[in-house]
Amino acid sequence: MVMMSKWMWRLTPLCFRSHKNCPAADSGIPVLAMKNMSLCFPSSIRTLPLLGRVVFALWLAAVVGCTTKAEFSQNAVYILKQERELDAEFSDQQKRDLAEILAGMFGTPDAPNVPKLGDVEIAKVLDATHLHVASGPVSSDERGRARGLYREHCAHCHGVTGDGAGPTASFLNPYPRDYRMGVFKFKSTPEGGKPTHEDLKDILTNGIPGTAMPSFKVLPNNEIEALISYVRYLSIRGEVERELVYLTADLVKGERLLKMAGTGRSEQAASLREVAAGVVQKWIDADLQATPIAPPDADRDLAASIKHGRDLFYGPIANCVKCHGDSALGDGQKSDYDDWTKELEPTNEEALEQFLGLGRFILPPRNIHPRNLRQGVFRGGRRPIDLYRRIHNGIDGTPMPGSFVLKADAPAGTKGLTKDDIWSLVDYVRSLPYESISRPPVIEQAYQRERL
Amino acid sequence: MTKQRLNLESPWPHRLAVLLVCATFPLIWVGGLVTTYDAGMAVPDWPSTFGYNLFAYPWQTWLFGPWDLFIEHGHRLLGALVGCIAIAFVCSVWRNDHRFGMRAAAFMALGLVIVQGALGGARVLLDERQLAMVHGCVGPAFFGYCVALAVITSSKWKPVERDVAKSSPQRLHRVAFLTVVFVYLQLVIGAQLRHVSVMASPGVFRAAVLFHLFMAVVVIFHVFQLLLIVKQHYGSVTPLQAPVTWLAALFLMQVALGCAAWVVKYGWPEFIAQYSFAAPHTIHAKSLFQSLVVTSHVAMGSLILAFSVTVLARAVRLVRMPTVALGSSAFILELAG
Repeated sequence: MVMMSKWMWRLTPLCFRSHKNCPAADSGIPVLAMKNMSLCFPSSIRTLPLLGRVVFALWLAAVVGCTTKAEFSQNAVYILKQERELDAEFSDQQKRDLAEILAGMFGTPDAPNVPKLGDVEIAKVLDATHLHVASGPVSSDERGRARGLYREHCAHCHGVTGDGAGPTASFLNPYPRDYRMGVFKFKSTPEGGKPTHEDLKDILTNGIPGTAMPSFKVLPNNEIEALISYVRYLSIRGEVERELVYLTADLVKGERLLKMAGTGRSEQAASLREVAAGVVQKWIDADLQATPIAPPDADRDLAASIKHGRDLFYGPIANCVKCHGDSALGDGQKSDYDDWTKELEPTNEEALEQFLGLGRFILPPRNIHPRNLRQGVFRGGRRPIDLYRRIHNGIDGTPMPGSFVLKADAPAGTKGLTKDDIWSLVDYVRSLPYESISRPPVIEQAYQRERL
Repeated sequence: MTKQRLNLESPWPHRLAVLLVCATFPLIWVGGLVTTYDAGMAVPDWPSTFGYNLFAYPWQTWLFGPWDLFIEHGHRLLGALVGCIAIAFVCSVWRNDHRFGMRAAAFMALGLVIVQGALGGARVLLDERQLAMVHGCVGPAFFGYCVALAVITSSKWKPVERDVAKSSPQRLHRVAFLTVVFVYLQLVIGAQLRHVSVMASPGVFRAAVLFHLFMAVVVIFHVFQLLLIVKQHYGSVTPLQAPVTWLAALFLMQVALGCAAWVVKYGWPEFIAQYSFAAPHTIHAKSLFQSLVVTSHVAMGSLILAFSVTVLARAVRLVRMPTVALGSSAFILELAG
């Protein structure tokens, strides 16, 4: 029997004797010791008891402790921002009211709802069928019809609420987009406008080169449409939440938003719907707001256009050099932040500490870096028309401003860019990857003084 | 206990153990694909498939239907096949080997298949991603166990010509054992990364990634220490040389695959992304290339575990451990037949 026990140790650390009576006890550490049975680790595990315990504890915590129930989270940053700005303090009841109103209007991540907003044609931007397909846990049926597309493809970076703080977010630079401000970078509409359906489709289909935003070319069109709808849904929900937070911050401490909205239930609901309708209408209007672009003169002298573009690049009106740098390597100012980060007041240490203390989902601020234009890689698209839009409309939420575009009948001397100027800038930017960096253009001394 | 009674000459236990290994590896591949394509819920019922008996599901729908259904149902069929082979293995061991330990080991293999199948079923019935993670952790453990069975049932296992090494064999045993432990822990952390909940905070994923990287360093340290020990002190022990060399080579490939998996999934790290070759990189979600790279990384992890188990088993078998009372060599010879 003794021999058998020793021999068994060769095959398995499981021993059907008490550890005390085990002939091979010296070579093992019992992890499970019962009257007639013991399970041992070889004694060499003693070399790493602490690490082993840490690993096991982490694994166990991850398996047991992680919640998998998907829920929308509250915009704690914006609440704190309003509290700081208006010296207000949100009561727990007020926060609960916000959550309940939003759940009533928009439902939950598993069962989203399209609010009925009277005359506002919300179906133009939020399709209930698409939302159903994109929401909920990941699954598919026998015919391959998918559900839970947002959680499958987007939530790991953008988060279930669309707050840009999914599990993978901290590794990504730039951070994934927080939809809740309703601000999107790459679009065809003017500054402050919402993206059109085509803008969102372009980003989903082509991805954003140089970032973690992938191209979803392999997805069928109906799934792309479902994701577009869900992104709009999260944006609208987030914007409505911000509006409600803003309204709540204006209330006397402890006063409830519902009471302010009216006395009767229908009156309260109508008042809240009005808030949502204002947000939704902007999304509906976006599809008609794409900046019209006249193509450049096909017979233009390209060399002259590039030279003119270069003058504008280094000149005081376009002033691209301020951020993109003298060499256009994106080495101009690097200390600015995007609008999402600015909410954390990154330059105010005391405020930043408060914001970062809101919880594990608040990502530390990072500076936004201007694009290196010499690589010929443009995140919003590399077609001339894409570059034109970036220069004309700017990039929302970032320090890249839109242009003041002069009308044809603008009086001489008015500061701004004509459409031809913008095309010249496009030509110059497109020529930059081929321009020798060792012979940068001479900057006019007068202008250099002005910059200094 | 005679040679005839033990019938250790029968090649069937080993053949079936090898078959078990050969069937389990593709099972791990397909299981990896199920996670990569998020196809775990492509079939919402279990053990049936859309109401059909698993084996009676129309093959036309399976083969020519949706991709998610193809891999999920394929995973189930392969799992069933592995279960059948495990049963055959148990029967073969029962018939040919009367040793209690060996029979227990064979039953344990079957038990592990059943537990693993039940975990997979529970993952589907409860739609619980964390169970998928546990399922993903038990898979490689079962694979490693099958490899160990294949090693100990092989004919090379039987002749007991122990190499009495001049250097301390305890060091070899310790490093080999720790390599197995760390490789498995690395697989567990990898499974954690692959099944991270969408509700987890960025800190959870960050900790898991950093721990995965740290553990990669720990594993590489142990793998190359093992390689060094075997090359320096056990150069004549061929059954150790080959697997340890493979182990080191596979681990280097695994590091490359891990880097590639990150790049195809999340893009280049920031310090590289600024270079011209990396700047235009666009990630293509769910593309064939992405899926192959990511799933290869998963499968390679299991392969590394298999080789580390082989090295451990052979090291324990072939190199005497003087500090542990192993019993009389006559007994071991008798067991070996």
